[in-house]
Amino acid sequence: MFHRRLLCPIRRRVVLRKTQPNENVRAEPFCGGCGRKVGRKTLLHGVMALFLETSRVLVRSVKDLRPLTAKRHRVKGKWAATLPKHPPTRLALQHFDATYGAQLGPLWPSVRVALLSERKYGALFNNFSHNPHLEELVAQGCRDFISDGAAEASSQPDSECGAEPDSSGVSTATAGVGSQQQPPPRLSPNIKCFVFPRGDVTRFKPARPDKFGLLTYYLMDAASVLPCLALDVQKSHTVLDLCAAPGGKSLALLQTQSVRFLCVNDSSASRTSRLKRVLHSYVPKELLTDDQLRVTSLDGTMWGEVERNSFDRVLVDVPCTTDRHSLMEDDNNIFSRSRVGERRSLPQLQVELLLAGILAACPGGEIVYSTCTLSLNQNLGVVEQAIQLAEENHGIQLQVVSLQPLVQMFANTFHFAPDLHLGEMVIPHLAANFGPIYLCKLRRVT
Amino acid sequence: MQILQKIVKNAPRSDFTRVQFKRPHLPSLCLGCRLLCSASDHTAPPRRNRSVSPELSLPSLLDMGFTELQAEQLYDCVSRVKGANAATHVLSTLSALFVLGLNPASVHKLLDRCPELCAVKEAQLQQRINHLRKLGLVEGSLQRTVVHYPQILTVPVKSIKTVVQFLREKCLFTTQQVTEILRDSPAVVLEDLAQLEYKFQYVYFRMGVKQAEMVKCRLFRSTVDEVRCRHTFLERRGLYQTPDKKGQTTIINPKLDSVLNLDRETFVADVAQATAEEYDVFQKLLAREWKEEELERGNIEADSDDDDDDSEDEEEDEEEEEEETRGKSGYKKKRKNK
Repeated sequence: MFHRRLLCPIRRRVVLRKTQPNENVRAEPFCGGCGRKVGRKTLLHGVMALFLETSRVLVRSVKDLRPLTAKRHRVKGKWAATLPKHPPTRLALQHFDATYGAQLGPLWPSVRVALLSERKYGALFNNFSHNPHLEELVAQGCRDFISDGAAEASSQPDSECGAEPDSSGVSTATAGVGSQQQPPPRLSPNIKCFVFPRGDVTRFKPARPDKFGLLTYYLMDAASVLPCLALDVQKSHTVLDLCAAPGGKSLALLQTQSVRFLCVNDSSASRTSRLKRVLHSYVPKELLTDDQLRVTSLDGTMWGEVERNSFDRVLVDVPCTTDRHSLMEDDNNIFSRSRVGERRSLPQLQVELLLAGILAACPGGEIVYSTCTLSLNQNLGVVEQAIQLAEENHGIQLQVVSLQPLVQMFANTFHFAPDLHLGEMVIPHLAANFGPIYLCKLRRVT
Repeated sequence: MQILQKIVKNAPRSDFTRVQFKRPHLPSLCLGCRLLCSASDHTAPPRRNRSVSPELSLPSLLDMGFTELQAEQLYDCVSRVKGANAATHVLSTLSALFVLGLNPASVHKLLDRCPELCAVKEAQLQQRINHLRKLGLVEGSLQRTVVHYPQILTVPVKSIKTVVQFLREKCLFTTQQVTEILRDSPAVVLEDLAQLEYKFQYVYFRMGVKQAEMVKCRLFRSTVDEVRCRHTFLERRGLYQTPDKKGQTTIINPKLDSVLNLDRETFVADVAQATAEEYDVFQKLLAREWKEEELERGNIEADSDDDDDDSEDEEEDEEEEEEETRGKSGYKKKRKNK
């Protein structure tokens, strides 16, 4: 057993470390820079390389200029030399097994395997790009699910019990509606989103810029378009998107070409700048002038105090536990041990944001609340509480607008959770690996 | 001799064991030996010419006991065998096979499946057969194995020894278990050792299944991809858990038999409780995931300029741990922790 001098990454000091009898004394097993396992003779790249086995580094011919780069110019990789023992993704999975196993029952295994497998994207079509080569997209085999849904809805005459109630777990018409068939839903116009057919796992190629530099489509979860459709933006409406980043839904709202004034907000400044970049990549500058678009990075919960009764339509797409992301990525994961408090207080934040959105809407205006989690207390629980608080504290009466017509229209594209008594939820399924998305629509009566 | 001939001809096709019993103390007396031993003092075959160099011709094949159709097919396949002494080769092969106790129909089936067998020298053939006997493939199972998987005789003794050593020392199978593996899944002898090792380790560590069950369920008949796909499907559905270091799980895992040996429909419907559509899509997604992992691994190795032997295995192990919760989030997101 002997000692060797090392730079400890955590303490940032040179320390003496005893080696164990069988330990490989030549090198750290993991590169401190990128975390990969490396061998003895490998020139360790990254910051750590410079300090370990210095003499050997100097003797060998230099392959990498990084050890010679001044430290302030070097990109700092991860400091940790080993993987975390309880990765947040595993914690998230355990949490979901416990909650959703009970909530979804026999549906949970199918949802679970879909969440753990590659998600399916849709291509939000950019109406503003020139020569977007729609035919190319169609030739690849994908279809605009929105127009497909609309075509199917209009082709079915009313009183036939046309819809197959149990095929994809769709709950049948809510009580009080006479015929089985719902009236066609009122949707925001002009939005097009292309998806590959059910069971087809082809990937979209990245979008290419047209001759004016605008991209032809934006890849996003196709189910994320549903809240924008449900919002039913009509001609010359003023619309507020309270938690807009990274900007997919804002982009979809702009595609309607019906918005007189769009207010886009996100609490984080860095995410807001990303949002601006997205908008500029897709929408011509003429439509992004100050009298048509306002981008802010304010705390959404304060909106009620700033601007009340101002907007025809409000979209509140709140921060949530982002189930899919939490299961797949360890970085920036809300289930990490350091963020337990933040996660536990999410429902409260969500209620405040929804309430602010309600206050910002004008009487007769409509609010759509959406999340990308399956959790009931971030979904139904939040809406119920917000409705109650709006009445108690502000005297605002809200009416829940049924989204059943929308569900029926798109039952062939998405799997909707059955038996939700408030709002609708898209649940992931391997053949239609979209979602999870929860949405609920409210109308201000007073 | 003629009586023996008649007995053999009238014996049912697949029942070579009976033939064996009828001549326990005449191991070298066989139908084909009259073609070989010119100097022997057996009764001269009635219709044969006593040529020193035996001929391979249709009548001689018929004499051996093949039907006309079989003889023709054999003659065709044999004529494809290259080499100056092709005929001699084939004759010696045939004789070795007859010595083994196979009846003409089985021999024909065998050579049909594996014409390369004709190219193997008789001495080698004998050596390999003896080696298999030493490994525990006794009469009955030896013949069955050879008939169902004639390729096993095209493998040199050294390779078989390597595989057996691997199974015994690396995988810790008992000798009896190794014999059973050879008997049930003879194709292991031709399988890439690295793949074999991966398959074993996957089932042992990731699925928590021990050797005895592996042998009973004939694990080595399945390919790595089949095992991985079915297991990952169950695992991601939450129906299969890797045991912790104490060997415990919070749910009862399905038995290896029900994972591997049920046909696809039954497996999907009963064990996985899913639809066929889900499994189809899952297979496609998983195949793509694996392909990309391999590419990534190839890139990492190229980057690291590595000559450490165990780094590759350990990388795989790390990835195995993560596989439950890792898939592809975006289309191509780099593995952050690798």
